[in-house]
Amino acid sequence: MTQTALSTDDIAKTFNLGFLGALRPFKFLAQRMQLKGIAHSVEAVKGISLDVKVGEIFGFLGPNGAGKTTTIKMLMGLVHPTRGSGTLLGAPLGDRAARARLGFLPEHPYFYEHLKPLEFLDFYGRLFRMTARERKKRAEYLIDRVGLRHAVDRPLRKYSKGMIQRVGIAQALINEPDLVVFDEPMSGLDPMGRKDVRDIIFELREKGTTVFLSSHILQDVEMICDRVAIVVDGRMRSQGALDTLLDDPVERFEVVFSGLDDETATLVGTHAVDTRAIAGRHTFIVESENDLDAFVRMGLDAGGHLTSATPIRQSLEALFVAEASREAAP
Amino acid sequence: MKPTWTIAQNTFREAVRNRIFAASIFFALAMLGLVLAVSSASLHEEVRLMKDVGLFLISISAVFIAIFTGVTLVYKELERKTIYTVMPKPIYRTQFLAGKYLGLAMTMFVLVVTMGTVLFGMLHLVDGAPGLEMIQAFWLIYLEVLIVMAVALVFSSFSTPFLSGLLTLGTFICGRFVDVMLTLRLGEADERTPVTEAISSLVRLVAHVTPDLSIYNITPHVVYGHPLSQDFILQATLTGLAYIGIGFVISAVLFSRRDFV
Repeated sequence: MTQTALSTDDIAKTFNLGFLGALRPFKFLAQRMQLKGIAHSVEAVKGISLDVKVGEIFGFLGPNGAGKTTTIKMLMGLVHPTRGSGTLLGAPLGDRAARARLGFLPEHPYFYEHLKPLEFLDFYGRLFRMTARERKKRAEYLIDRVGLRHAVDRPLRKYSKGMIQRVGIAQALINEPDLVVFDEPMSGLDPMGRKDVRDIIFELREKGTTVFLSSHILQDVEMICDRVAIVVDGRMRSQGALDTLLDDPVERFEVVFSGLDDETATLVGTHAVDTRAIAGRHTFIVESENDLDAFVRMGLDAGGHLTSATPIRQSLEALFVAEASREAAP
Repeated sequence: MKPTWTIAQNTFREAVRNRIFAASIFFALAMLGLVLAVSSASLHEEVRLMKDVGLFLISISAVFIAIFTGVTLVYKELERKTIYTVMPKPIYRTQFLAGKYLGLAMTMFVLVVTMGTVLFGMLHLVDGAPGLEMIQAFWLIYLEVLIVMAVALVFSSFSTPFLSGLLTLGTFICGRFVDVMLTLRLGEADERTPVTEAISSLVRLVAHVTPDLSIYNITPHVVYGHPLSQDFILQATLTGLAYIGIGFVISAVLFSRRDFV
């Protein structure tokens, strides 16, 4: 049986805002008196259940304000859940022994700017009670691994956003964790940086490390994740293996003809749902497999040469957009 | 204890490498030097004035720096989000808070010792080596600074740095005048009204819950060269540690319930 590395059971968070928001008795009174400006609340996460297996790369997706970062903060012990529970590496949230096996990179990280990268990694290593020898060895390795050897003598205040992201990844890996949580790890990185991060994540998987990551860059998620969860408005919309989620029946085909003049192409295009003309070629989108044979015959009869006919598979982006724009179930 | 010490060292290192803090020390030392130079020019009273003004300046500048840095101690970690990578590590929130406090305490120790050494040195040049009472005064100033830092930590656990600063400054001023506040009765006996009685009672109530900082100001003893008894110093130290302990426990309880958003 596959073990669970990270799980949540209907975890939820409501933030109390306003002048008296933090004081429950006053908030109750204020609500009774309809003084919403004085004390009101925001439901950031309305109940999310996750199950991440050991050794997999799990993508946690959702539009801005969906509750991803709040969920991650609850997992990391930065925010107290209002309801529900969770586990990290088999232990309840907050367990110190489990946190000793955890690595975390927050979104838009800021670090102690007065430190140089080796001092910085040494600081985090000491929080894990690593020996001086272990800290030095690991820090030296990670500095090379994230490509910061050239900037090792500079304090972090002189680092660019991309360099901060790299040193942040290094601190998340200082203790050789069994579970790594990355919140937007590709943020601020150029294409080379993104590739480096993807390579690091693949390396982690090869070593059996579980990676839980949230990202807006769906292309990367699609490339590296085994399973994903899509969260919208504080609730789970979809969760599962990418192959399963994207395995909808193929309903559309992209048919490309060359040798059609514009007038004929327009006529043929009336039987397609979309038409584009690029460099002497006409591309048509055909709605269903049933119409495909008749459409191809019509194009050939009109004097065109069939260049390709390709089924259109649903992309993660399409799934994401569909889930994000779907109304919440009552 | 190890994570606490690690965080304390980092806090100390951050302060030492902070240009604003270095400028504050330089400014305080410059003020001290200037005032001591002016005091030394006064006829027959130079030693008394140097001790009086010197101790006042050390105390006030250390307390103000303690308030400024104390109220932003945790706030800066939240504002710069550095706390996000520290708290998920295998440490308790109390260890983090203790580390931050200890780091600032180390920083303030360096500040008080630096300024104290300057005053001590100048007095030595003018009047020979100052007595034991001067060392006692430095120790009590440092204790007062630690108490003010603990108060700042309490207020900054639930309010903004600005409000925390005002509340801590108010506590410091009240603390220096606790003995006056405890005996306060507004108006003459035959002129007292319910309002003046209520205000007097409120002032006395505030005095009861405010740390008594007047015991940490022993300038008159230093000026006249009368060292205080070891019992007094011990009692003041234990009282100070109790104030710090109470402040730290309140801060720790508030901090443990806090969401870092």
